[in-house]
Amino acid sequence: MIQIVKRDQPSRVVFFLTPVLAILLTLIAGGLIFYILGFKPFEALKFFFIVPIADMYGFSELLLKATPLCLIAIGLSFCFKSNNWNIGAEGQLTFGAIVSGGVALLFYNQEGFYILPIVIFAGAIGGMLYASIPAILKTYFNTNEILVSLMLVYVSKLILDYLVVGPWSNPEGFNFPETRQFSDSARLPILIEGLRIHAGIFLALAAVAISWFIFYKTYLGFQMKVSGFSLKTAKYAGYKGKKMIILVFLISGACAGLAGVGEITGPIGQLHREISPDYGFTAIIVAFLGRLHPVGIIFASLVVAITYLGAETAQIFMQIPKYTGQVFQGMILFFLLASDYLLFFKFKFVGSKK
Amino acid sequence: MNTNLKVSKITKIYPGCIANKNISLEFNSGKIYALLGENGAGKSTLVKILSGVIMPDEGEIFLNNKPLKLSSPIDAKKNNIGMVFQHFNLFETLSVFENLIIDSNETRDNLREKIKSIMDKYNFSIDLDIPVLNLSAGQKQKVEIIRCLIRNPEVLIMDEPTSVLTEQETSELFSSLKKFSEEGILIIYITHKLKEVMSICDEVAVMRKGELVSVSKIIDEKIETLANKMVGQNLKTIKKTKQSSFSSEQLIKITNLNFKSEDPFETNLSDINFSVNRGECLGIAGISGNGQSELFQVLSGEIISDKNSIEFNKTYIGDLNPQERREYLMAFSPEDRLEQAAIPQMKIFENVALNNFKSSNFFNNGLINEDKIKEHSKKIISDFNVNTDNIDLKSQFLSGGNLQKLIIGRELITSPDLLICFNPTWGLDVGAINYIHETLIKINEQNKSIILISTDTDELLKLSDKISVINKGKLSKTMNADEVTSEKLGILMGGGN
Repeated sequence: MIQIVKRDQPSRVVFFLTPVLAILLTLIAGGLIFYILGFKPFEALKFFFIVPIADMYGFSELLLKATPLCLIAIGLSFCFKSNNWNIGAEGQLTFGAIVSGGVALLFYNQEGFYILPIVIFAGAIGGMLYASIPAILKTYFNTNEILVSLMLVYVSKLILDYLVVGPWSNPEGFNFPETRQFSDSARLPILIEGLRIHAGIFLALAAVAISWFIFYKTYLGFQMKVSGFSLKTAKYAGYKGKKMIILVFLISGACAGLAGVGEITGPIGQLHREISPDYGFTAIIVAFLGRLHPVGIIFASLVVAITYLGAETAQIFMQIPKYTGQVFQGMILFFLLASDYLLFFKFKFVGSKK
Repeated sequence: MNTNLKVSKITKIYPGCIANKNISLEFNSGKIYALLGENGAGKSTLVKILSGVIMPDEGEIFLNNKPLKLSSPIDAKKNNIGMVFQHFNLFETLSVFENLIIDSNETRDNLREKIKSIMDKYNFSIDLDIPVLNLSAGQKQKVEIIRCLIRNPEVLIMDEPTSVLTEQETSELFSSLKKFSEEGILIIYITHKLKEVMSICDEVAVMRKGELVSVSKIIDEKIETLANKMVGQNLKTIKKTKQSSFSSEQLIKITNLNFKSEDPFETNLSDINFSVNRGECLGIAGISGNGQSELFQVLSGEIISDKNSIEFNKTYIGDLNPQERREYLMAFSPEDRLEQAAIPQMKIFENVALNNFKSSNFFNNGLINEDKIKEHSKKIISDFNVNTDNIDLKSQFLSGGNLQKLIIGRELITSPDLLICFNPTWGLDVGAINYIHETLIKINEQNKSIILISTDTDELLKLSDKISVINKGKLSKTMNADEVTSEKLGILMGGGN
């Protein structure tokens, strides 16, 4: 008989192994799904996970997709570590993109080294402003930040929609729902000629380094850690809870906003309706798959980024809808949560009782 | 009809805690039985076993001499055991009637008739067609009771039914319960409120730490005898050697302190007044759940109160948070070691850093000063006999006693003027208890003061210079410890005069 026994303490080894286990289970389940759909599982998985990154171009695309995921997930880890559930990074990304896009449009016919920093800064501010809404409502009006931040996502998308069809639409654009192209001075520099990989990756890497420093070396990080384990203890220690909640939301919003900047001033170069394939939501999976650890998040963002690329390859070569990518993302989260059970419980094999 | 319910040798063990140890009890209809005990005494476990929510590890239940196997709440319902829990299980947005028919197979019309007749019989007046959220706590409880009555129960178990009721609602409930009892329903009444037991029950079973302490008739008991059984003091007369003269310098003074909670399961504090002099230990006695936890939080600053209601060392500090109060040399040791005073998943030295204020220099310019914290932690470990030499150890690996020593040490190493502690020896072994007690006595000898909130009367009599009793959020006047008898404490704890 198999018995399920509670562990005396969560296992450290299992803590870092479960993400790997979750990925393995996702591969198995994914293969099974492909099999049911009538494809050869191994071949399909190869198209999904190996073909897309087999060449230099593919690999650079991987980094391109991983950049916003990593950046947003780093920001979210500030919230999640301290027991604040910001689900609306997609909205903060969109609003950051709107603000920075608006600034970039002001300079559409100008050149100058000063433009890009202003545009980037505006994006961070936009994300922070948008994240401050759920934060302030939570601290002063006791609202639930999960609901507020989530609902604001749709608000921001509608604002973007309105702007690109209405006031900001390109006057020479034949009524396409998009703005003018930004000037070259408002674009993030391309790193390698001929590829799309841009300087935004340095923003993400900087965020990783800074977050590591804050988490493990500063008083703020310590307070976040305590609040994450027990809000009662944080209160007893006298931490200023409201201030911290607002701060982590602002950090998280700034990161999401920067991710938005990276998209529109990087590969896209203008504002239009679909600036993000739900990076803000997918980054939640990345944050947890990376165990809210800065280095873990780097790896997790690479893994999850593959699902975006794989979905496209699968659509081209196997005529499978690209939404399969989301199925895979969903499965990763599902299996991760399921295998987290092993953190607290273990299986024990015992002889039958009678 | 005569109903007889028997539990025989019930044992239920949770990891690290024996919730019920070999409990045998017998109940007969026509009487109201009280199951009395402090929080954590094992009452709720026994009740959950009787209502099929959990299964005992050992032991049997008999209803009318037939063995009864309750493996789910549905089994209990089928066997006519009704249960009203302390926290209501109602759908707030559904109407009263919808709530009542949810688990029934009868037709709506039949049920409406039946409910009407029940309500007429017991003088309940509730509009059946309004949503439950518009009802008062007392009315919600009536809905729960009606839900049980629909099934013609033989046994009705009430778990802490009066905790959310007003006085008026309580007396209504009591008259209903008496009626039920006269009609032959066996009533088991779970509570820690002694007055209620005295006024409504016929027999009382007292539980403590998972064991059955006594079963007796109410007419043979008094409030104070029951109180003593509940908290388990055996009237030891060990007291600390009283200092010949106290300094008469007042250290902390509480004036007209009030706290009103929005949570109906918390206790409101009303008009608290007391003061403590330097070198004194004020003990605050009471049965748990009478406002101790709220009082601790108000004193520590977790709950902010009116600025002028707390005067400490000639400064008004009622509006300061715990960290700011620490600057004025106050220290706090909360009741809950594992969920509040310390974080088990964090290392020992990280837990030490929880007691942080400016002069500690644990954090400089927003950065962690790990060397300082570690140096400090080592000192605590050696000064307070914490049985480890590894400050990188996660504190979950410390025993309860060692963890408490670490917490008390962390609070005391800054040599505060006042230590406020809440059940500092709860759940510890004798050795650790003695060590903590000696430490507390030592602080008083250094002319520092203590406010000791405790549910352990022994401990209070041993350590306090003055004692006050908290009951329903009100504090009695302060008495000199040598004038206090256990009898008097018992009366006050039970709400008498």
